Amino acid sequence: MIQVTDDMLNSYLDGELSSEDSKQVKAELLSSEELQKRLNTLKLVHKKLYSLKEDEVSAGFTSKVMSKIGRRKLAVPKQQKYFIFSVAAFITILCLVILGFSISAIISSSSAAKESLNIVDTVDVLSTGLVNFIKHLFSGKGLSILGSVFSLVIIISGYFFFEMQKRSKANLGNGL
Amino acid sequence: MKNFSDQEIIDSVLKGNESDYSIIVDRYKNKAFSMLKRMLKNEFDAEEILQDCFLKAYNSLRSFKGEAKFSTWFYKIVYNSALTKLSSRKRKIESEMSSLDDHFNLASDYDSMDVEKKDLDEFLQETINKLPERYSAIIIMYYLNQLSIEEISEVMHISVSNVKVMLHRSRNALRDLILNSRFAEEMI
Repeated sequence: MIQVTDDMLNSYLDGELSSEDSKQVKAELLSSEELQKRLNTLKLVHKKLYSLKEDEVSAGFTSKVMSKIGRRKLAVPKQQKYFIFSVAAFITILCLVILGFSISAIISSSSAAKESLNIVDTVDVLSTGLVNFIKHLFSGKGLSILGSVFSLVIIISGYFFFEMQKRSKANLGNGL
Repeated sequence: MKNFSDQEIIDSVLKGNESDYSIIVDRYKNKAFSMLKRMLKNEFDAEEILQDCFLKAYNSLRSFKGEAKFSTWFYKIVYNSALTKLSSRKRKIESEMSSLDDHFNLASDYDSMDVEKKDLDEFLQETINKLPERYSAIIIMYYLNQLSIEEISEVMHISVSNVKVMLHRSRNALRDLILNSRFAEEMI
């Protein structure tokens, strides 16, 4: 005689018991009304659960989903466009700041000589100064500083772009 | 197209026939809704989350490699989305479910069910709704959505034996409730 547990009854119902255990459960079932009752109720639950009916979503659910898909398809590239635009704007602003700084530096350095020169000479001095400054910027030490700044900008924007892609992927695939 | 397999429909969607995705939506919406409704115990939330699940699945369709069945992959999204929603409601589902030593007592809900006015089907439906989220999810996946134990274990990310234990426990709870109700004499 064995003690038939609820787990054994469930496994018996699912046909997962070994033939030996199955025989023993059958034998116990013949001799115990209580066990029969437990098994029969379990069978009833099993049968009733198989006849469960699906719940229905509200009308128009599919079209709602499809229209959301349509809207989202447009929204994703828009978001990327905003990101690219903001990076481009940042780089442009940085260039303008460098240019502005260099012009102000040239103006201040030539301010002493400014009064004695006419307007043509002033423009000439400014343009020469600007050319010299740009030459200085793109040669030797200046170039390496400029390169470093741009590399830093590219690395930072690359990092944020990667993070954005990762986040959007994680949001989309949440639960995968 | 309606008789095509999930994979064929997905291939078609990926080729640009976006509208074919509606066949997938129609195919799974009620089954997934049944699961979400029982897990979240709220129809409105269930439908809202389901819409998000279909969007997530659509947007991740290219990453679906066909290694598992689409249904398993999709139910995984549904199940995890439900858990996320539940955790955002600050429910302590982990402590409630993850341990196999946990217990739930449906008998305490029995009095509030107004059993006299119900037939057995209604009674069972209502009782399933009162099961803890993961248990009702297993019942729906196994009986209604006809997923195998192995597929359920993949969806829920738990072992096959844990799925079996939880399934048995759900059945036993339902059985005990019937045995202690007026249906015991009527039906058996």
